[in-house]
Amino acid sequence: MDETVGPSEMIVHLGPQHPMQPGPFRLNLKLKGETVVDGDIELGFIHKGIEKILENKTYLQGIPIVDRICYLTAMTNEEAYVGAVEKLADIEVPEKSQYIRVIVEELSRLQSHLLGMGEFGEFIGFVSMFMYTIKEREDILSLMDMVTGARITHTFLRFGGVRDDLPEGFKEKSAAVFASLREQIADYEKLFNHDEIYKLRCFGVGILDSKTARDLGVSGPALRATGVPFDIRKDEPYLVYKDLDFKVCTATDGDIAARINVRLEEMLEAMYIIEQCLDQMPSGPIFFEDSLYGVRTPVMRVPEGDVFHRVEDPRGEMGFYMVSDGSDKPYRVKIRGPVYPTMQALPPLIKGTTIADVAAIAGSMDGCTSEADR
Amino acid sequence: MDAKTIIDSLVNKFQDSLVDAKVDSDIRVSAYLEPEKIVEVCQYMKDELLFDHLSSETAVDYPKRNEIVVVYHIGSYDHSVLMTIKVKLPRDAPEIESIVPVYWNANWYERETYELFGVKFNNHPNLKPLVLPDELMGDWPLRKDYEGFPNRTARNLV
Repeated sequence: MDETVGPSEMIVHLGPQHPMQPGPFRLNLKLKGETVVDGDIELGFIHKGIEKILENKTYLQGIPIVDRICYLTAMTNEEAYVGAVEKLADIEVPEKSQYIRVIVEELSRLQSHLLGMGEFGEFIGFVSMFMYTIKEREDILSLMDMVTGARITHTFLRFGGVRDDLPEGFKEKSAAVFASLREQIADYEKLFNHDEIYKLRCFGVGILDSKTARDLGVSGPALRATGVPFDIRKDEPYLVYKDLDFKVCTATDGDIAARINVRLEEMLEAMYIIEQCLDQMPSGPIFFEDSLYGVRTPVMRVPEGDVFHRVEDPRGEMGFYMVSDGSDKPYRVKIRGPVYPTMQALPPLIKGTTIADVAAIAGSMDGCTSEADR
Repeated sequence: MDAKTIIDSLVNKFQDSLVDAKVDSDIRVSAYLEPEKIVEVCQYMKDELLFDHLSSETAVDYPKRNEIVVVYHIGSYDHSVLMTIKVKLPRDAPEIESIVPVYWNANWYERETYELFGVKFNNHPNLKPLVLPDELMGDWPLRKDYEGFPNRTARNLV
């Protein structure tokens, strides 16, 4: 951004600490009156050097580290990491474990969307929305706690399987939680779409058209809200997604309301996927009996090679590029998070809007600085 | 569009500069490329082969071979084939043309690759550090011979 200011222009720094931000980053805005003329983002306030840390940890030690990229998407981060190692080392996963993985990953999508929507409500001055969604999210977290033993950073996946089988009574408990969540989602839709202030702030604001979204490299709900049905679960099916029936939720308007509606719909789809999994799940072991791998994998060496494995994160395309040199630690890991390009697309998107809309637009993109910085 | 068609089309067009172009699976193709051709190849892929989505761009350091390999992962919103392009650069002066004119979101990936590996991207619109503090510039922390891990961190610098 050009730092020189013209007549009646000024530069405002939003952040690194600001209530509208999903983590510390600095948004520099050049304003003319109330209109945003230009903007840029400064990152690095929460840079953890995870790529370097992973190079210095054995493969198994890497699993809890990738959880910490972003606690909301811990399960999908693990899936991308573990999936990459499985592809490199050619490890087979039993079908039962694949179903369990899909279940916990879709639960993770549910809780991520719930928190994202609550935060978004808070950003547009709708603070009670946060209270509603956080209550439902707590129920989802209890379900995940039942399976994985932890609320947010799970360390649940293992090479060639999962740590534990589903506990008894999971199906009944989840049925009760989902019934209540379905009612709540109908309520959220009513709350959002019948509120005059919400309509004024969110319909037709922050419009991203499909061509620009493609050029900016956006993925996930923000892209699908523009009408592009890009979903790694369909395009590049991993686990058992090809056997499951679900639709890719899209909208056409590309504005803030469209992004929120896509997330609401995706939550319904996620519950539908989990119910299918619980019905279809075969019986059997969670690790193959003759497998070298188990809950406590011994020091493993992965054959030389490189792989790029990607999964559908709650926020878009999550990819791991992993290079192995045949030792017990990865030679190089590149984490390609979905938030990175989405945050990069924020300055062009807010250009020309008013400063009051910046929080609404940034909130609807559902960013996470921790993941962008890594 | 399937993997075989894509690799055939690329090899036909750039046979002199593509090395080891191969189909890894139905959805993955990969090739090594001469550094001079990177913008031209990316432009061709974007215009003719529907590769409109830069998935990631990074580098890998190989001190023993004395080279840094810049790795591009280019995918598409329309088909599911993902192309991996690798470009070998000399380790003492890695320089390559920026692909920001073709893929807009390469901007941050190149800034990050620059500060972590010291790969210089020519004609980049804004080549300055992204996630590292200014004090760490020139250390190239993701290179394999970096000795500051884990003690020389941003906290110890201030």
